[in-house]
Amino acid sequence: MTVALATLRTAFLEAWSNRRGFWFQVGIMAANDVAWVIFWVLFFRKVGNLRGWDTHKVLLLFAILTTVSGTGLGLLSNSRRLGELIAGGQLDAALALPTNPLTYLLTRRVDTALLGDLAFGPVLFVVAGDPTPERAVVFVFGALCGTVVLVGFLVALGSVTLFAGGRGEQADLGFQAILIFASYPIDVFGGLTKLFLFTAVPAAFVTGLPTSLVSSFRWPVALGALGAAAFFALAAATTFRIGLRRYSSGALWTRV
Amino acid sequence: MNALAAQALISARRALHQRGELAVRVAFYAIILVIFSALWSAAAGANGGSISGYDAHSLLWYVAAAEGSVIATKPRMIESIGWDISSGAIVTEMLRPASVVGLRLAAELGEALVRLVCSLAVGGVIVWLYVGQPPSAAGIALFVPASFLAVGCNLAAQHAFAGAAFWLRDARSTWFLYQKLVFLLGGMLLPLEFLPTALADVARALPFASMAYVPARLASGHVEPWLLLVQAAWLAGLLACAGGVFWAGERRLEVVGG
Amino acid sequence: MLAISTHELSKDFSAGRGRDRRRLRAVHDITFEVERGERLAYIGPNGAGKSTSIKMLTGILHPTSGEATVLGLVPWTQRRELARRIGTLFGQRSQLWFELTTRQTLHLLSRIYRLDGDDARRRADELAELLDATDLIDQPVRSLSLGQRMRCELAATVLHGPEVLFLDEPTIGLDLIAKQRFREMVVRLNEELGTTVFLTSHDVADIEHVADRVVVINHGTIIYDDQVARMRRSLLQTKLLEVRFEEAPGALAIDGVQVTPESDTVYGLVVDTRRLSVREVLDELLDAYAIADISVVDPPLEQVIAEIYGGRT
Repeated sequence: MTVALATLRTAFLEAWSNRRGFWFQVGIMAANDVAWVIFWVLFFRKVGNLRGWDTHKVLLLFAILTTVSGTGLGLLSNSRRLGELIAGGQLDAALALPTNPLTYLLTRRVDTALLGDLAFGPVLFVVAGDPTPERAVVFVFGALCGTVVLVGFLVALGSVTLFAGGRGEQADLGFQAILIFASYPIDVFGGLTKLFLFTAVPAAFVTGLPTSLVSSFRWPVALGALGAAAFFALAAATTFRIGLRRYSSGALWTRV
Repeated sequence: MNALAAQALISARRALHQRGELAVRVAFYAIILVIFSALWSAAAGANGGSISGYDAHSLLWYVAAAEGSVIATKPRMIESIGWDISSGAIVTEMLRPASVVGLRLAAELGEALVRLVCSLAVGGVIVWLYVGQPPSAAGIALFVPASFLAVGCNLAAQHAFAGAAFWLRDARSTWFLYQKLVFLLGGMLLPLEFLPTALADVARALPFASMAYVPARLASGHVEPWLLLVQAAWLAGLLACAGGVFWAGERRLEVVGG
Repeated sequence: MLAISTHELSKDFSAGRGRDRRRLRAVHDITFEVERGERLAYIGPNGAGKSTSIKMLTGILHPTSGEATVLGLVPWTQRRELARRIGTLFGQRSQLWFELTTRQTLHLLSRIYRLDGDDARRRADELAELLDATDLIDQPVRSLSLGQRMRCELAATVLHGPEVLFLDEPTIGLDLIAKQRFREMVVRLNEELGTTVFLTSHDVADIEHVADRVVVINHGTIIYDDQVARMRRSLLQTKLLEVRFEEAPGALAIDGVQVTPESDTVYGLVVDTRRLSVREVLDELLDAYAIADISVVDPPLEQVIAEIYGGRT
């Protein structure tokens, strides 16, 4: 844990070394998020209530989404690049160190722009999410579970590159898909799509479940969120660990 | 003109050959379409079948057309043009006996039209299966040239926007903002009729509407042929703008040195 | 005492996708031992299997078959334990953080290797001095030249006091002076700290200037394994000279030198150093002709390998 924190701190220093670019990118991303808030406000102004969703609830979802993306893709930015790193042989540096290679890789790089999300999400929650101490705790809990599911899903998908080769395209598509699906109220989708969002592309656990938890807390749902987080964390760690045996270090040989 | 046509043709061929990339792009578009189909049919259903004059049927055709017209251009294009300019890579292009921005636009247009046609073919099938045939045959007939003009406007505007990199170092990330302007004021995410009246009027007067709203408006069954004239006017204006920005930028590079 | 020992170590890769997928053997049944304190050059042309070998010995790759131990540990099953006791440097991949200073990377490494903070700081300063990098370690890595960066890389590699040093093509891309300096540093680390050195290269000069023993690998198999001194006597007996004359020299004949004209004024000379030294040839040329330029190079590795095969048949 201390190693992970030390690595993350160094990654921060690296992002911070270009200070002007840092604030510029954070600002651009925050502005980008404001545009989405405008979209949802305009949408629900016309549509009214949509299967239990209104402006209020959708902004809560958006606050969770940006917090999750800020943490899982901003702080742990390599989570979505793992397949690419594997294909390019960039695990070598991590494997040469006496530490857990997955933890090291995940904390190795911070994505400055997405830190804008991390700043935006909690602020949006405070402004539009009716924060009470209890709700704030549930918000943090939900966002953490969502982050673990997102990162776990991306790591597992990226690790497939260890078995199947390629350049990590599947991880990129999965990344796009889970993020888009997680951006919209889960209840607009029909039964089959919903099932898909609880399994193959677990977007429901990234934002849907946490949002409904903050709106109205229920223990079974909380346990469900926790269980999903545990499952995806385990799936990611296992796929990666087993796959390491087949790591080919981007050897020239495999590109023949 | 011949050089430009040849460039467009080469790029179109290249886009066709990179099947993996094309497939990913079209798949991405299809996913968005599935989501928006769900979102808008639920929205229409919750409001007695129609919002701001659009029913579920026309809304879905609107979304397919708007998304399709925008998604045909490369994401992050402003960033990559900006990169070519600020890294000096563009200087080699200035040695050719043809307009830098002209060749670039032709190349992008060739690629974009391939993606446009493929995306719309897939999108058309999805929406057709979902809600049935397009609301109006005349509207679709008008939509075809409108989608081409929309892509042209979008490309010209992005080049004009990215040309800022001749003067500004950090201009690259502005593609995010540009994209959001197209999303909201261009009517890509939702029809302009959904905006507050005053804002909708402003949006209609801006070039972004020509990139998404116009083709989508036509495809959703509104036979309003004069919109094509608006697009054509914007296309001419934006092309002049891109040409002017690059002309001035290139002069500046020649003076300051790459 | 043994630092490294391998027995019939092999590694296959699968290449291509779908129906074209096939297995390629990168390393084939290699067996050798390295004593503690030795400086071994593990050389071979590009694609010979050098990197694959080094990556198996450091636990990065799992072998397809065979055995190996490094410091008594099996690299791929005891990777983390081993990593604490060895240092690994890849010439084409940086372990330094590009936007930060070397000192900041060293600080992180001290946490990863769980070194005492004060000890690590002191050691960083000592290493900087030893590696002539005192001025460099507080500069952002991106502002360093490749040669400067490699010295900082070396500092990062040996910060935790490794017993074995694995260097994979460390001199690649360096200019002549930087190469020579880097080689001196490696030798100094070996002599002053007793670090075992395992160095891969495709540069013949790395053998002569760093190693006391050489293993040559080609097409995944070891084809030569001997002391450098002995190799020098039997194999590295030619030097190549390229000479540019001010004007055409006419007939050029020196005993023990094979002459190939490349143009009117440029000649390639192959000197057999068993018969006469490079210096003697240079003296003779400078005395007799007006010389515009001369360069002396080692024979390329391909020629050495051809000689190894030639000597065997």
